Amino acid sequence: MPAHRSTMGSKFRTRSSSPMELRPMLSEVSVLSRSDGSASFSQGDCCALAAVYGPGEVKVAKELSDKASVEVVFKMKVGLPGCKEKIQERILRNTCETAIAATLYPRTAIDIVIQEMHNSGSFLATCINCVCMAMLDACVDMKYLVAAVTCGLNSEGELILDPTLEQESDLTALMIFAYESSNFEVIATYTTGSFTSDQFQICLIHCREASKHIFQFFRDTMARKLSK
Amino acid sequence: MAADFKTAQPVEYYRKFLEKDVRPDGRELGEIRPTMINIGSISTAEGSALVKLGNTTVLCGVKAEVTNPKSEEPDKGIIVPNVDLPALCSPRFRPGPPSEQAQVVSQFMVEVIQNSGCIDPKDLCIKAGKHVWVLYCDLVCLDYDGNVTDACVLALMAALKNVSLPKVTLNEESGNLETHMQEKWGLNILCQPVATTFAIFDDCIVFADPTDEEENLATGKVTIVTTEEDKICFVHKPGGSPLSDDKLQNCLQRSFIRAREARNLVETTLVNVDR
Amino acid sequence: MAEVGSVVLPGDQVRLMINTEDSTRFVTGPGLRRDSDQVTVSKAGILKHKEPNIYWVDSRQKRYIPTKGENVIGIVTMKAGDVFRVDIGGSEQASLSYLSFEGATKRNRPDVKIGDLVFGRLLVSNKDMEPELVCISSNGRSNGMGVIRDGGFMFTVPLNLIRKLLSSDCNLLKTLGHHLPFEVAIGMNGRVWVKGRSVRETIAISNAISSAEFMDNMQIKMMCNKLVDALTGFT
Repeated sequence: MPAHRSTMGSKFRTRSSSPMELRPMLSEVSVLSRSDGSASFSQGDCCALAAVYGPGEVKVAKELSDKASVEVVFKMKVGLPGCKEKIQERILRNTCETAIAATLYPRTAIDIVIQEMHNSGSFLATCINCVCMAMLDACVDMKYLVAAVTCGLNSEGELILDPTLEQESDLTALMIFAYESSNFEVIATYTTGSFTSDQFQICLIHCREASKHIFQFFRDTMARKLSK
Repeated sequence: MAADFKTAQPVEYYRKFLEKDVRPDGRELGEIRPTMINIGSISTAEGSALVKLGNTTVLCGVKAEVTNPKSEEPDKGIIVPNVDLPALCSPRFRPGPPSEQAQVVSQFMVEVIQNSGCIDPKDLCIKAGKHVWVLYCDLVCLDYDGNVTDACVLALMAALKNVSLPKVTLNEESGNLETHMQEKWGLNILCQPVATTFAIFDDCIVFADPTDEEENLATGKVTIVTTEEDKICFVHKPGGSPLSDDKLQNCLQRSFIRAREARNLVETTLVNVDR
Repeated sequence: MAEVGSVVLPGDQVRLMINTEDSTRFVTGPGLRRDSDQVTVSKAGILKHKEPNIYWVDSRQKRYIPTKGENVIGIVTMKAGDVFRVDIGGSEQASLSYLSFEGATKRNRPDVKIGDLVFGRLLVSNKDMEPELVCISSNGRSNGMGVIRDGGFMFTVPLNLIRKLLSSDCNLLKTLGHHLPFEVAIGMNGRVWVKGRSVRETIAISNAISSAEFMDNMQIKMMCNKLVDALTGFT
């Protein structure tokens, strides 16, 4: 199955460029031949690969009588999975459960596997975007799309969108927001560091604007896949 | 008859109550269950606390040991929280390795301690590069009736406030550690994070402090951890129904209020403990 | 608002070109969800419209969701009493009763073994029940359905290729049929069974079918000609 590649504009981020831009995004769908849907997504240097299998057979213990059972496995590049991976799996799983119209597939399982290819800051957001693309490729019924944006606050209180790994080390707070595409409301959040309520609101608003770029990117990538 | 309706159609049963802005246990949408704290009950631990949030009961015990520090951080002590949800607290947990829920809550505690900066790890250093204190904080849930996250954070904070460590010095000539059991010092707690959990029902109604039944029916959850001066240190919304900005703002306001009440409660309890 | 013929993604609202005489009745096909008066897209694909009032989203899916009335190719995996369990590629295995074959009675059981390929029609299939397969039409005739015997080769293709093969404007099977004799069975679950005169021809035909996914009729004709030349060159 041929892979379909798409890149976003020409917004390159150098050290001196505006902190309000997202890193350049690159995505390929249908990269894996055996899975029902797959996608690789990279933002700057940060890259992840996701595969979706389903709706398929489910183990009797995990069977839910009224909706599909979604399971997420997060694979790191090195090391054994620990508690930190569990919290990321939980966030990914709940986000997918909300986005998928799970009541259309009762007593089935939708398995999602994410492989970390390269972590260069803001990795959870890249994973969420990658999973959304993989689900689009697998044609699982969804209520809306999900896009995630990271933003950080440095010691002067300035907002930096989509920080890289070096920028992350000087931040006082890091926030990841996942938005849905119909009303742009928040589906998931995950924060580190401490901040005030006003800073939270400002980050929320800016990340919402940035997520619209990501939704447009999803649209362009799928348009290229379907135009063949 | 109400019990039959509740078993057959639990969601409808809940909706009928929520139409009148009240919940089946009589609470309003923003009301938290009565909280009870007991500090210092375990004499063999350096610090301990028992928290009852309605029926949810969590016991925290802090044990201190001296160990070698990590090579990347030679002057920082280590705090290791571990949450255990044993089979005794609820029929949903089976005996065996820690469930996913337990691991998520354990990681949550690690993040709260790190993000809030409630204890400076340098305080726990005895001799940089050689000896530091490690605090093992074990949280055991004895009764699971929903909202175990809030109870765990409260128990951990109360137990840490209760910790008293003996003074330990390094004897330069012999190279041994000497413990002075008479000179005890308490931890310097820089700030006290308090968690408030909200459940989202039916995509539009938000209520605070869900019980176990409410958690099963909820379509989403948000946990907000705040410290003094209304600073937020952790907003955890793992998926679930989308939430609009103003509802999120309401949750934030409610959690600030709750945090103040909880801190007052811990202060009053501590005054009555003799340690 | 999405237009007919454009790429749509889940969450998009659809603006329907509703006929003024028949303004309330329209049919939404796969990929669209109806929510009181709003129609929302639930799969990524191209929005299509057929006169007078049918709308659907054409998507590229690999996983089969069993739907009533479709002809599928299944593999028999188990025999449980009077019923065969057949794998049709969905989330659950389908059941096929031994009486659902032409001329089958309690005394005269059909000759079906584990591992056999079966071409049948889905009688019952909805999301809440186990799918049921039959190899017999409503008047008792088999109409080509039943156990597929005597060799051949079965392979899987994406579902949109199946729909393309079965549509009247695709000339692949006709073009291939001009040059080579072969038998083919096409299952809506993404499975195609082919049998040619020899193994080489069978493989050539299956490759031709798999590669035709993104080709239009001109390219298909050229590809078939090249294929036949290559085959005759070898024999």
